[in-house]
Amino acid sequence: MPQITEVIGISREIAWLPWAVTYFFLIGLSVGSFLLSLPHYLFGRPGWERAGRLALIGALACGMAAPVALLADLHQPGRFWRFYAHPNLNSWMAWGAFFIPTYLSGLFLYAWSSLRPAIAADAEDRGILAPLYRLFGGRALPWLSRAAATVAIIGACLVLLYTGMEVMVVRARPLWNTPFLPVQFALTAIGGAIGLALLLDRLLGGHEAATEARLNRALAMVLGASMLVGAAWFAIGFFGLEARHAQALASVAQHDSFRITAFEGQAALALAILLALWKPRGSGWLTGLIALHAAWMFRWTVFIGGQSVPKNAPGLYDYHLPLGPSGLLGIAGSMGLLVFLIILLDALMPPARTRAAAPGEALPGRA
Amino acid sequence: MGSGRRSLFAGLAASLSGTAAAAEPPVPSRGIGPRWGMVVDLARCIGCQACTVSCIMENDVPPDSVRTIVNTYEVVKDGVPGMAMLPRLCNHCNEPPCIPVCPVGATFQRDDGIVVVNADVCVGCAYCVQACPYDARFINHETQKADKCTFCAHRVDAGLLPACVESCVGGARIFGDLNDPNSTVRRRLASEESAVLKPELGTEPRVFYLGLDDVLAHKPEGTPTLWRPQHQEGI
Ligand code: SF4
Ligand code: SF4
Ligand code: SF4
Repeated sequence: MPQITEVIGISREIAWLPWAVTYFFLIGLSVGSFLLSLPHYLFGRPGWERAGRLALIGALACGMAAPVALLADLHQPGRFWRFYAHPNLNSWMAWGAFFIPTYLSGLFLYAWSSLRPAIAADAEDRGILAPLYRLFGGRALPWLSRAAATVAIIGACLVLLYTGMEVMVVRARPLWNTPFLPVQFALTAIGGAIGLALLLDRLLGGHEAATEARLNRALAMVLGASMLVGAAWFAIGFFGLEARHAQALASVAQHDSFRITAFEGQAALALAILLALWKPRGSGWLTGLIALHAAWMFRWTVFIGGQSVPKNAPGLYDYHLPLGPSGLLGIAGSMGLLVFLIILLDALMPPARTRAAAPGEALPGRA
Repeated sequence: MGSGRRSLFAGLAASLSGTAAAAEPPVPSRGIGPRWGMVVDLARCIGCQACTVSCIMENDVPPDSVRTIVNTYEVVKDGVPGMAMLPRLCNHCNEPPCIPVCPVGATFQRDDGIVVVNADVCVGCAYCVQACPYDARFINHETQKADKCTFCAHRVDAGLLPACVESCVGGARIFGDLNDPNSTVRRRLASEESAVLKPELGTEPRVFYLGLDDVLAHKPEGTPTLWRPQHQEGI
């Protein structure tokens, strides 16, 4: 085997910036949170009231913050209209421009139609905002809730599909070019959404131990599935069962940074699963944070780590997180926006006890 | 693109049957016309980077990027060290994976095979940058749009050679019409063994190399250079 030493070479800097990580993180959390809100708002399952409300806050806040990060990644947000003016329908990214509004409009309509009775019932306590609550509140519209939920469910599935496929089809990067990727994106998104709900349960007033336990049990299952998918990807590459996977593993396995990240990630997931099962009441802080961390780190490793693997050069490209808008400031700004939206929604949304009527259910005391 | 490819096949068929498309003047036209390509004779490349510099000057490439670069490697085979040069540029692939991913159809292939970016439409999403297996594309920091080698289409359309070809000190870069059986590129390809980069990907590059060591046809594994210049965002 000849030995090669690169004497003159250049770095191709990463082209999908931390904005892309932020977007995929937020839209994933939004979709996961939306799915987590369904047991309460669509199916009226008893015991899911608080989890449903927290999840809906998460879905709406992340759903509003995500497109901001996406537009920022275009380097020039005003360019977005071209996605609609000249769509190339062979491109998954082009489809995304249609799937995101489908999902978000379904989500907003679902949230509003599901909350209508609760908003109306809340009007008395809202002081000067009461007329607004009366305007937006009203009797339950089960048909609208169901229709909106259907649109949002279809939109959510399409968002999961396109975000996964967009990255998976890139043959130029073996690390991305695997059918495990969309599955892992979806699982870590749902895990992250449960983690967000667990954190919100602690951060927003009215912590419920039963909700925490329920969420922790769900989290253990999702994270367990995510670990299995990771193990399957590794096994296929390690035992050389498929050439592309073997190539992908070989491109990162010799680098300590990837080995440490993979080990740390798996250890954190195992810890979260053990904690969630062993101490489902009281561990929400930690398990929630780990699940969110896993969702972020998976995307960071795929996008930033994946782009630091040269296509035509040995070794890894250096990446240093810039402090400016395309780096730390961008991430901090997006997260700041998310926190602001969560606080705002928590303040505006009727409390969980003013339970949103499940479709078909009339609210006591209202016509 | 479909019609472009059909016309290309028609052009090839015509040229193979002796009714060659006229190579001069090399004005791209619809229907049967030239299919531009490059042959790089690696034995003649001395790694001087004259092409790198002339491309930057000709195409106003920002100082922190390149459309072409001559990668230089030390290759030790059976204990014997040697230097290997590998000029890299866009391959103007016949099946370019950078085109279908573009969400707005900004990047396309001309009838003469040159893959270009319509900067008026490009949104700078960098999907094409990801999809190119040859790292031939980058986001230009001045325009915030995709940038790449255009085979110097503006010069070729005016009947000139690409800047890197014209400035090549060793005469390693040869440019011409692959549809013309009498062109130098066709004759060299017919008489010598050639190779393309990453043939297994099915991209059908139209930049051919003479004397390419197989270990360099794929992603080279080994020791990276100590310093790779890179654009840094101002803080
Ligand atoms: S080398 Fe890359 S940029 Fe050039 S045509 Fe092929 S895939 Fe596209
Ligand atoms: S960067 Fe421009 S040319 Fe490349 S895929 Fe995006 S819009 Fe198309
Ligand atoms: S053909 Fe033109 S654009 Fe392409 S590498 Fe040569 S000088 Fe640069």
